[in-house]
Amino acid sequence: MINLSLNYKLVRKFIKNFIREEISSNGFNRAVVGLSGGVDSSLVLYLTVDALGNKNVRTIMMPYKTSSPDSLKDAMLVVDELKVSYEIVDISNIADAYLENIKDISNLRKGNFLARTRMAVLFDKALEFQSVVVGTSNKSELLLGYSTWYGDMAAGLYPIGDLYKTQVWGLAKEVGVPERIVKKKPSADLWPGQSDEKELGASYKELDEILSLYIDQRKGYDEIVSLGYKKSTINIVLQRIYKTQYKRTFPPVAKFSPRTVGIDFLYPHDFKR
Amino acid sequence: MKVKIALAQINPILGDIFKNREKHLEFIERAIKEKAKVIVFPELSLTGYSLLDLSMEVALSPDDLFFKEFFELSKYIDIVFGFVEKGVDKIIYNSAMYLSQGAIKQIYRKIYLPTHGMFQELRFFGKGKNVFVFDTDFGRISMLICRDFFHPSLLFLSYAGGADFIFALSNMPLRGLSGDKPYIEETVEKAADTYANFLSMFIVFVNRVGFEDGLGFYGGSFVESPLLVRHGFAGILNEKLTFAEVETNDIYKKRQSFPLLREEDFSLIKQNLERILEGQK
Repeated sequence: MINLSLNYKLVRKFIKNFIREEISSNGFNRAVVGLSGGVDSSLVLYLTVDALGNKNVRTIMMPYKTSSPDSLKDAMLVVDELKVSYEIVDISNIADAYLENIKDISNLRKGNFLARTRMAVLFDKALEFQSVVVGTSNKSELLLGYSTWYGDMAAGLYPIGDLYKTQVWGLAKEVGVPERIVKKKPSADLWPGQSDEKELGASYKELDEILSLYIDQRKGYDEIVSLGYKKSTINIVLQRIYKTQYKRTFPPVAKFSPRTVGIDFLYPHDFKR
Repeated sequence: MKVKIALAQINPILGDIFKNREKHLEFIERAIKEKAKVIVFPELSLTGYSLLDLSMEVALSPDDLFFKEFFELSKYIDIVFGFVEKGVDKIIYNSAMYLSQGAIKQIYRKIYLPTHGMFQELRFFGKGKNVFVFDTDFGRISMLICRDFFHPSLLFLSYAGGADFIFALSNMPLRGLSGDKPYIEETVEKAADTYANFLSMFIVFVNRVGFEDGLGFYGGSFVESPLLVRHGFAGILNEKLTFAEVETNDIYKKRQSFPLLREEDFSLIKQNLERILEGQK
């Protein structure tokens, strides 16, 4: 019901400059991107290559034995298109060394463990390549907390962190991400048949509109209801936002000294001496 | 009188006053070569914006030897730039310095320090208290810094002081990307049009570019004439030195055809303001 579309040409230019400058103010000129074959990581790879050039970017695919084979196929489509160097690290053996000894593990635990295994591989590759890990989290998943803390959330910067999922689709079209990737059903692919929208309980279109009304336009619960959105969906959104706030903040430090990290030791992120 | 104004839309390095000084000197030399009368840098051009605890570490007294080359070059061109001022009152300020003929002409301390949302200036800086107008050999100037420019009351004070030019030194982060232009750019241009039209003066808007801690400053520097012609537009997102060649006689022309200043009654404004504020007690 509300229009979330953006001037994607300008967004593209803005994010391109952002990636280049933020990586350079971190003292680097190279990046690694974990590539799943989904739209978020494909888009981030396009933008990163656009910003740094394909010679300065490496992408890592990290399938697990239950990952959909289509994911890797789609990832290869992007790699071929961008002519970027890549590596495939099958994480099945690494993850199973731990997982095989555990009985009755829930999908959530397993999914989190896989996300954190990928994080460990990706950060090692980043060090090997003398580069920064570029994050692929978008605004919808950051606000809904629909991502693994210290897993796929771990990164040096978030170029698409202020774009809702529906805007990710818009920008992905603008930069030329292959249509089959933009069109496919969103899934974290942490277990077979997983679907974001099924798990979240609503479509991204609905979720994004409610998020935008609540977060960006500061509308209250009743106002959003009066605009015709389902109470159950609004409740999902609000509960998720507040339940997952810990993922978006620095952990509390027990303060007793004059200057405390995370509280009043206030140096900017981008300062280098 | 024709005046060439250089707009230095730079991308300073956060917290590195030495590298930033180099960049300033380079831009100043280029503007001298182009025979500009004055060069205007953005807010906090010497230090970068998102300083937080660095604010006190990069603060300088206006008479610090650090500025020696600036004073020297100001014999050839007027220089306006932003820095963190170490006040004699032991307070630090977000200030702009105007140098001319080897000396300080004016220092302006930012009055309205935004402290909300992404802004935290009042946590680190003291608040300026005075709007100034001062004369140069090409006209009467008043300096404002960033948020000050969104307070029409401050421009009205400059107007009352007879300013011909407002120099608005800015660090405006980009927001709003749904239209043809960033929303913030629209806002600034609308404000500049309105001020230039109704106050009949030149608006010199200089904004920085570059990213700091995720904030992306959009640039978009320009000079707006009282006849509502935009000069020297620097474009957005890229570092650039542009020149605006303006005719100061445009102010007379405008004030003949649209004689608002002649109609203005400043003492009436003063009396009414006092009465209204008194009534609110």
